[in-house]
Amino acid sequence: MNDPLQHIFESVSLLIPEVIITASLIITILLGLILKTNKHVILKTLALASYGLAIFIVLHHLPTTSTLLFGGMIRIDEFSSYFKFLFLTGGILGVWISGPQKENSSAEYFLLFHAVILGSCLLASSMNFIMVILSLELISLSSYLLTGFGFNKKSAEGSLKYFLFGTVATACMIYGISIIYGIAGTLDFSSELFLKNLIALSSPLLLIAGLFTLAGFLFKITAVPFHLWAPDVYESAPTPVVAFISVVPKLAGIAVLTKFTLAIHLFGQSGYNWQVILSVISLLSILIGNLSAIAQTNPKRMLAYSSVAQSGFLLVGLVAFGMDGIHFMLFYSTVFLVMNFLVFNALNQFENSYGELGIQSLAGLGTLSIIPSLAILIGFVSLTGLPPTAGFTAKLFIFGSLWGAYQQSGELILLVLFVIGLLNTVISLFFYLKIPYYLFIKEKKETANSIKSDVAGNLLSLILVIVLFYLFISPDKLMGWINKITFVL
Amino acid sequence: MRHLLSYLIFTPLLAAVVGLLIPATQKNTFRVFALLISIIQIVIMVLIALHYEHHDGIQLSERLPWISMDLGQWGTMKAEYFVALDGLSFPMVALSVAIISIAVISSWTIEKNQKGYFILMLILNGAIMGSFCALDFLLFYVFFEFLLLPMYFLIGIWGGPRREHASIKFFLYTLLGSILILIVIIALYLSFQDPTSGKVLVHTFNMLHMQNPENIIPGSILSIDSTDLLGPYSYRLWAFLLLFIGFAIKLPAVPLHTWLPDAHVEAPTPISVILAALLLKFGAYGLLRFAYPIFPDGAIYFSWLVGFVGVVSIIYGALNALSSKDLKRLIAYSSVSHMGFVLLGLASITVEGVTGAVYQMFSHGIISAMLFLITGVLYDRTHDRLIANYSGLASKMKVFTGFVLIAFFASLGLPGLAGFIGEVMILFGAFLSQKANGLLPIWMAIVATFGLLLGAGYYLWTIQRMFYGPFSVKIPAAEMNDLNHREYVMLLPLAMAALFFGVLPQTLLNFINPFAQQFVEALFKSASFINP
Repeated sequence: MNDPLQHIFESVSLLIPEVIITASLIITILLGLILKTNKHVILKTLALASYGLAIFIVLHHLPTTSTLLFGGMIRIDEFSSYFKFLFLTGGILGVWISGPQKENSSAEYFLLFHAVILGSCLLASSMNFIMVILSLELISLSSYLLTGFGFNKKSAEGSLKYFLFGTVATACMIYGISIIYGIAGTLDFSSELFLKNLIALSSPLLLIAGLFTLAGFLFKITAVPFHLWAPDVYESAPTPVVAFISVVPKLAGIAVLTKFTLAIHLFGQSGYNWQVILSVISLLSILIGNLSAIAQTNPKRMLAYSSVAQSGFLLVGLVAFGMDGIHFMLFYSTVFLVMNFLVFNALNQFENSYGELGIQSLAGLGTLSIIPSLAILIGFVSLTGLPPTAGFTAKLFIFGSLWGAYQQSGELILLVLFVIGLLNTVISLFFYLKIPYYLFIKEKKETANSIKSDVAGNLLSLILVIVLFYLFISPDKLMGWINKITFVL
Repeated sequence: MRHLLSYLIFTPLLAAVVGLLIPATQKNTFRVFALLISIIQIVIMVLIALHYEHHDGIQLSERLPWISMDLGQWGTMKAEYFVALDGLSFPMVALSVAIISIAVISSWTIEKNQKGYFILMLILNGAIMGSFCALDFLLFYVFFEFLLLPMYFLIGIWGGPRREHASIKFFLYTLLGSILILIVIIALYLSFQDPTSGKVLVHTFNMLHMQNPENIIPGSILSIDSTDLLGPYSYRLWAFLLLFIGFAIKLPAVPLHTWLPDAHVEAPTPISVILAALLLKFGAYGLLRFAYPIFPDGAIYFSWLVGFVGVVSIIYGALNALSSKDLKRLIAYSSVSHMGFVLLGLASITVEGVTGAVYQMFSHGIISAMLFLITGVLYDRTHDRLIANYSGLASKMKVFTGFVLIAFFASLGLPGLAGFIGEVMILFGAFLSQKANGLLPIWMAIVATFGLLLGAGYYLWTIQRMFYGPFSVKIPAAEMNDLNHREYVMLLPLAMAALFFGVLPQTLLNFINPFAQQFVEALFKSASFINP
């Protein structure tokens, strides 16, 4: 590292996907100023093209070794590359289902998408608390703005709520990090110094600092008790934005949470049992998410609570505290991305045709709009975790790793999480079936128009359904890829 | 000929996909299409019967790798597409083919959204075949779960007035049972290894491996030398209990039976037929196939509980049937009572009891199908099922009354009809148990015998109320014609089967008996391996 400039240049050359997104971001601003007509189509194409290119590069330059960049701020490894692949896929899907914006706000809309993805990619690969804070804020600020894109009072209210909750969570996180910095003497949480100092100075302060820091990450993944913003924000934001922010920032949060908990776990030498703390959070997320979802009458509010519960399931893989738990969590993340977009895409199609909907107003629309209805049914079956969809496989794997962890550690809380988590499938079935129930079983009250034909949306549904079935019938292919990922802190 | 079972399972599933492509306007093609598939399945079934030999092993097996993946520190996980038949599944598969064909004929009167209905029927068909053939625990689970969704919609869309409530109740109850089973499946596969894989640790869902306690990985929570307790019981006993509760919901046994009367009353006739004749069998089938062989220690330890639940179901079901005002509800409760006999036979763990249990499953399949078709005949004419609203039907509907008498007498266990053989063998087993293996106290068998008496009571009373006396029907405009050709075609084969298997039980016992002998023998052998 004799020549810092040289090092930075070398680092940039390994960050091509991020560079592409940044370039696309800048071009979007410029085009937004220059273009007068067809803004939406051109910028949408640009976004899809740049994400596609970035995915291509991520997949074709899969790192075999992990490389530290920018003086240890960022590390390129298989783990972060896989998450980048997920974020970019989420970006493509989110952009795909985004309808035309107001002519003068199109550029800002895509700009913010780029920013969220850029932030997520950086967050998944950061190895330093400063980097974590910066990229987390990049995601947060952009998503606050994105939720306001309904341009009505409700949307603005949701955006403001999101902002207020978010800032408090970030403040807590920074406060926690500052204490950890004080104890460890370094911001690089993969360094030996960090490990040594934390093991040496195991004070209750560490527990408090750790919990404060967790707050920021748990807010991002909408885990209990930092989930309160989700229903209001989901309800008020435009549906494509909800689909996007319910997946990409959440998975970014999961990525950094994985790194952070493994760091603070100190290879089992921590004085505090982070496994138990995470199990409790996971258990509460699953229970509270599912139980609250039952009473909802607005589909997006219901999906917000479902998203809380899904975070709980994602955390189950982390709770296992082992390599295969993390692998299964990656599999679950992939499946979650697919099924979530499947549901939101169909919901978006309904909203485009019928306007804002309560669950009850979907009554009897099943036969009028058969493709979105079937898509939403398959999406919900998968979210419940029933065969023959990949949701079942993912749940099977992730709870398998939890049982393995219980067999090893004998912590009773893990058994409780195992049993309660699986039994929650029954509770979740009750509300996940609500929408298909209204679509197919309830008779319609008045004659409704049939749905506007939407070839792109139907095509997307078809692709996502095929992926869900494929990952059920043969999960080995994807798991074979994921299994090659080694994750060292 | 090597893939006969796969043909049987995947013909209807593929047909469902093909059916999606037929435009919905081609209304009546769908029922012809579904019937055609059923006929193809009957042909396949005949071929299977020709290739089946009477011995105690599995036959016609097909094995393909399905999921095989590395679990890192925990070795490899392997799930297979493993289907085969033995003395337990052969009668069940044959029954399924026959009952589904009849259900398709019975669906001829469905008018509402035929495309959706028959496609769901085809999916249901394939999933039922798959569940009975699967010998890989995960594969069984997947097929079984897969049939719940079509069933939910079939009850929910084409059912009676309270169908919405009934369908969701059915789905939630059965899913609860399934999840209890899934909990055990996950724990099990991490505790069993494939002995054929050499040094590599391969976790398997294969039933044949799971039946052998030597394949349990030492040191795992479900291993036989584990002394860990969770509350009063060891983990193995808990696992058996979970499986038992899970399958008891599907059976259904009292007190987990409340979904059944609702689902039956609201479901359309063909679906009631499939529900009673086939779906209820999965409870007992699961116990025989999975719970008992994998946890013989639990089976022996909890035999009193299984027997007790069985006896309670027999009596409680019969008493409820006695007080039912709705004919369909009466038959639903009689199913609860008859499934109680299956539990009792199973709990005795004697060759007689187990043979009787499987025989009862088969004969109840035939008889309950007949009973629900009979209510369907009445419902089609009057849209009313209240017993009190009918009287003296025998004078107007002579042929129909004949079939009703056969079905009712078969169900109450009259000698010479199919219901008798199963019940009497179960009672033999239950009486024998105290002396032979000391598992069931003799009072259970005695109390169960009273169940037969109650059965005779509610059926005879119903015949007296509905068919004898002066003719009157409360629904004014209803024309009480005798059976038409379609109804005749459905009821006649079932009535003949009820007679045939009552007079010549040996035809069926040739399949069941080798299975039951091997089942009891293997169970006590593994139990003595586990608790020397």
